[in-house]
Amino acid sequence: MTYEEYLDGKPVVITAALTGGIQGKEAHPDLPETPAEIAEAAAAVEDAGAAVVHLHARRDNGERAFSTERFQGVTDAVRDATDDVIVQHSTGGTAAPDALRAEPLRTDPTPEMASLDMGPMNRGRRLTSENTRDTIDGLHAEMRERGIKPELEVFNNGHLNEAFRILDDLDEPPYLNLIFGPGTLAPPSPANLQRMVDQLPEHAEFNVIGFGPHQLPLTTQSLILGGHVRVGLEDNSYLRKGELATNEALVARAARIAEELGRPVATPAEARDLLGVESRR
Amino acid sequence: MACPHLEYRESDGDREFDTARAFCTVTGEFVQPVHADICNERYGLDPESDCEIFREHAGLDWDE
Repeated sequence: MTYEEYLDGKPVVITAALTGGIQGKEAHPDLPETPAEIAEAAAAVEDAGAAVVHLHARRDNGERAFSTERFQGVTDAVRDATDDVIVQHSTGGTAAPDALRAEPLRTDPTPEMASLDMGPMNRGRRLTSENTRDTIDGLHAEMRERGIKPELEVFNNGHLNEAFRILDDLDEPPYLNLIFGPGTLAPPSPANLQRMVDQLPEHAEFNVIGFGPHQLPLTTQSLILGGHVRVGLEDNSYLRKGELATNEALVARAARIAEELGRPVATPAEARDLLGVESRR
Repeated sequence: MACPHLEYRESDGDREFDTARAFCTVTGEFVQPVHADICNERYGLDPESDCEIFREHAGLDWDE
């Protein structure tokens, strides 16, 4: 997680966030929603260089779903369509009760990785994802019990405090995802990304999300700082101004930039070694 | 219960979907999936208290 590791050509883990749960086909006609669509996208991004796919589940009409049954349908389709990509389930869920938030951890097999939100995030005037310490600790305990690698979702600088709070309970290496965007997310700027990287726990690996137009510059900065990158339609609909993206195109661009910068793109097997992930393949 | 302004439609005149999606008759647009949880009063959410569109349409201030 250092500039020296960049100079040494450390492999970069590319995560593709394929679908999300905030927007759907009303916003982007090609955003994958059904298990079949998500699986097709997963296969395409694996070929393009993604080592991890970040998954959400939906109802048939595109609305959010949290049940184990719905996640099982998505994860089965993705595993059938891909060779070795690491499956990461979201446990996020604005306004959803804790009991539902844990359901994505209970598929068979369990996901190799799962997101673990480190604190609150607001949406609009009244919606908030609370993520109390009780929620965090409950989800984390179940991940540990099931051998699931948590990716700590750091929505802003203050959530680094929460990551340090649970640091002793994390297997090596801690893996933090630094998230930049509007509202209660970390203010998106190169200086702020550098500051957050400077405050990470020792031996941590980090990933970077930049929402919308911040995806390209901040993930590129992460490459130079020795970090990893997450791209995909969950976070960004556009390849460039006015041109709708696909998941595959966003991953291909990230892989191309990484190679240009001397960071080889990690295979799923290499990503498991780097991040300490138990294989379910 | 659900918002009185919520309908499920397969088309808005411009786009067609295989499965009917949440549509807001106030804005005349399909609804974001996360917002559809407010429309459908899931997870303790309620259009009258949590939806900006509902409240503005009803002439409600946020301190009411």
